[in-house]
Amino acid sequence: MADFLNAYSIQTWLESCPQGYLQDTEYGHAAGLKEPALILENPTLREEAIGTTVQLVVGERAALAASSGLINAAPDHASKRFLATQTLDEARHVEIFTQRLYDLGVKKDELEDTIARHANPHLVRFAEILLEKVDKGDFVAGVVGQNIVLEGLAFSVFEMMQASNVELNPKFAQTLSGTIADERRHVGFGENRIGSLVRQHPEKKPEIERMQKEMAYHMLATFADRFRGQAATLEESRRITQAAGEGSPTRRVWHGTDLASAAPEELEAVLAGTVLAEFKTRLGRIGLDYQTPDRP
Amino acid sequence: MSGELHARDHASFLAEVHSFEFWFQSVEGYLASHPYGVTPGSELPALSGTERDALAATLSTYCVGEAAALDGASGLIGFAPNRAAKIFLATQAVDEARHLEVMLHRLAELGVDPHADYESRAHASLLAFRDRLMHFVAAKDWEAALFAQNVILESMEFAAFHSHMQTADPRTAEMLAGVLKDERRHMGFGENDLGRMLARSPATRQRLRAIRQELDVLVLSTFEDSLRELGTPASERPEVGRLYLETVARLGFER
Repeated sequence: MADFLNAYSIQTWLESCPQGYLQDTEYGHAAGLKEPALILENPTLREEAIGTTVQLVVGERAALAASSGLINAAPDHASKRFLATQTLDEARHVEIFTQRLYDLGVKKDELEDTIARHANPHLVRFAEILLEKVDKGDFVAGVVGQNIVLEGLAFSVFEMMQASNVELNPKFAQTLSGTIADERRHVGFGENRIGSLVRQHPEKKPEIERMQKEMAYHMLATFADRFRGQAATLEESRRITQAAGEGSPTRRVWHGTDLASAAPEELEAVLAGTVLAEFKTRLGRIGLDYQTPDRP
Repeated sequence: MSGELHARDHASFLAEVHSFEFWFQSVEGYLASHPYGVTPGSELPALSGTERDALAATLSTYCVGEAAALDGASGLIGFAPNRAAKIFLATQAVDEARHLEVMLHRLAELGVDPHADYESRAHASLLAFRDRLMHFVAAKDWEAALFAQNVILESMEFAAFHSHMQTADPRTAEMLAGVLKDERRHMGFGENDLGRMLARSPATRQRLRAIRQELDVLVLSTFEDSLRELGTPASERPEVGRLYLETVARLGFER
């Protein structure tokens, strides 16, 4: 265990992250980049961007609370040190996505009201389930919930959004690239560290699997609200963008689906399918049986 | 990164100095190209067996303090009153974890197994201090926990490291110099946050004074135990304690 944890040291993190892919960035993107004028000037696009970004802030706030809360419960100092780097990664994510809300025109004294208005209740419940485990000091369940389920969700969502924005919004796409690199490291730690602990505590498996099933349900419900529930808004946003000539012809394929032309329900299906398949693979690697969630 | 810092209003100033961006710009100058806090390729100092054992014992005690600081800082995040405070404490958690890592690395250079149980060698008063700090954290008592962590513990470390630097070998002194730069930032946060509370509330001032009296005993006892173990003459031992008391007083927390 000690040898693999050397790869997750503070020194490695300093060299690869702040002194590596974040070097010369400002809030995660190249200095001087701005949100596209079309988003800032069109009320529908701006509101849609704010709604999306709020979900990212909600998820990252949960990740910050969970990773910092797990440090005290960690069974060894190498894990504590890794979780300290993850805590700062998550704090940075909170900071850069909050900054995006400000860049989109949210006033500082309106931040909390804006988040409360847009936060999806299923995403809030998803976070609460995780934080209940963290508050109890349950390290194994907490790391599975945080570094496999939450981070696995974030990883795929960020990848999909990054693919969608790489040409339309380079500032946001660059911001997402750094977070994807962070999430990859977090998921790797979860897989590598937690497998041995699951083997040491087989009695915990049923409870952890129940948690995964419940969290996965609320994740799917969030997707359903986002894609099917707001299909008209998504279609309208796409129509405005294409009418402005800022994105119509380019195919943006992610996991076999053209993100530029697929219907909202197709987008929901590819995202849900990708995340759940990743859960199954990663849970299997640490000795847990994936539990199929109910469909919202 | 964004204009003249001191020309900003107070809230905006705090948001900036407590940010990840500010932290990174602060540490980059002294951590870039300094793996484990030291100049790469610098010579390992030749130490006698006695010197080596004394340094290993001292670093082991520091590790207990840094591990407590890591648990304390990360625990504070959960009930910090605002986003800027949470983000600052996240930077502090990484700082404390780095301190633990560089000290374990120095211990390994001295031939001490970095995975050995350094806690079992810690002095009882330091462990009692840690337990008191974690009691405040578990109770989600913001003012008491922040005071114990960012004023008392940081001042204790500041006094110990500053004094140690005067006599340490060059490699250890360079490592401690980087740690001290972090500690100054942490003390500034405690001073700033609690200073505003004190300005508003005489009751808080009274309460922190009582906590300080309790914790001072543990801090001074830790110094005494450590210095006796190191063979420091009795006449020189009060110096570190005096530096600690001066540091806390300079931060605005009188006895």
